Amino acid sequence: MELSAYAQGGWRLLGDPRCFSRRSYVSLLRAAFRSLLDQPHAGNSFILDDPDLKDIDPTVLKHCHAAAATCILEAGKQNADISAISTCLEDCKLDKERIEQFCTEYQKNKDALEILLGSIGRSPLHITDVSWRLEYQIKSNQLHKTYQPSYLVTLNVESSDSGSHPDVRFSCTMEQLQDLVGKLKDAAKSLERATQM
Amino acid sequence: KFNVGVDTIQHGVEGLTYLLTESSKLMISETDFQDSIHVLGFSDELNKLLLQLYLDNRKEIRSILGELSPKLPSYHSLEWRLDVQLASRSLRQQIKPAVTIKLHLHQNEDQTAQVLQTDPSTLLHLIQQLEQALGEMKTNHCRRIVRNMK
Repeated sequence: MELSAYAQGGWRLLGDPRCFSRRSYVSLLRAAFRSLLDQPHAGNSFILDDPDLKDIDPTVLKHCHAAAATCILEAGKQNADISAISTCLEDCKLDKERIEQFCTEYQKNKDALEILLGSIGRSPLHITDVSWRLEYQIKSNQLHKTYQPSYLVTLNVESSDSGSHPDVRFSCTMEQLQDLVGKLKDAAKSLERATQM
Repeated sequence: KFNVGVDTIQHGVEGLTYLLTESSKLMISETDFQDSIHVLGFSDELNKLLLQLYLDNRKEIRSILGELSPKLPSYHSLEWRLDVQLASRSLRQQIKPAVTIKLHLHQNEDQTAQVLQTDPSTLLHLIQQLEQALGEMKTNHCRRIVRNMK
């Protein structure tokens, strides 16, 4: 696992006890994780509000926060193990205790990080749910005595980019719905077979 | 060829069309049809011919009329594919199964195909929900209504 020169510079500052005491080091790490993983909303500036970080020069804070975030994301992206992370931070002259503290925080947040990174990216519209309506047609102004059951199916979809997207709606006869369900069941059976391999 | 005016032909065609479409739309019985055209005073042979014309073309006329009613896009077919996402720009070493579906719909001559995706658990949920939908027509409630409507 490799970090850019800028990030390495930030980590060297983080490792320096003259810039960051043990407490402020941990505070900054925690703030970095929260800023990446928590839902963004106005007014949560984890760095600026933290009492342990008040006395540190803002430019240094900015540099170190960026360095920490870069390391967190890189580790998450590569699914890095503890030894890879340790080696990387050792190169930045961090002592063993600070490395261990980072690894502890990383382990705590690993799952959430994985979910976050996995959700970034484009994909086709994602089906989240289905609703259906069964109706029995009796007549229309063009045609009387139709006497046909008809289904109205709505697929609720979500877009990966923007929030909402109009649902996919269509009507179908009973035979068509049977065809649809049959094909979906084929897909499910294939999926089951694939997972057993 | 018929040696009559254009207008007469036109009226004749319109009259015949009206007779056939109305009869088909209402799905009237043979007896009712015969009674209806009786008032026109045609020969028996002509009446029989008209009746046969009606019965032969009724189904097709009804399906054409059926196209005229308000409609939503209707299901045509579906293709599916199983994928497993292994990596993306932001995350390596993934195992993310997905089902990609191409849904073909028809609406008044237009054909659309939409690509959608879902995950395995939602797929099973969809199947369960739609099977319930199919089962509804077989319930006593629906059967009773169908019986009583006819």
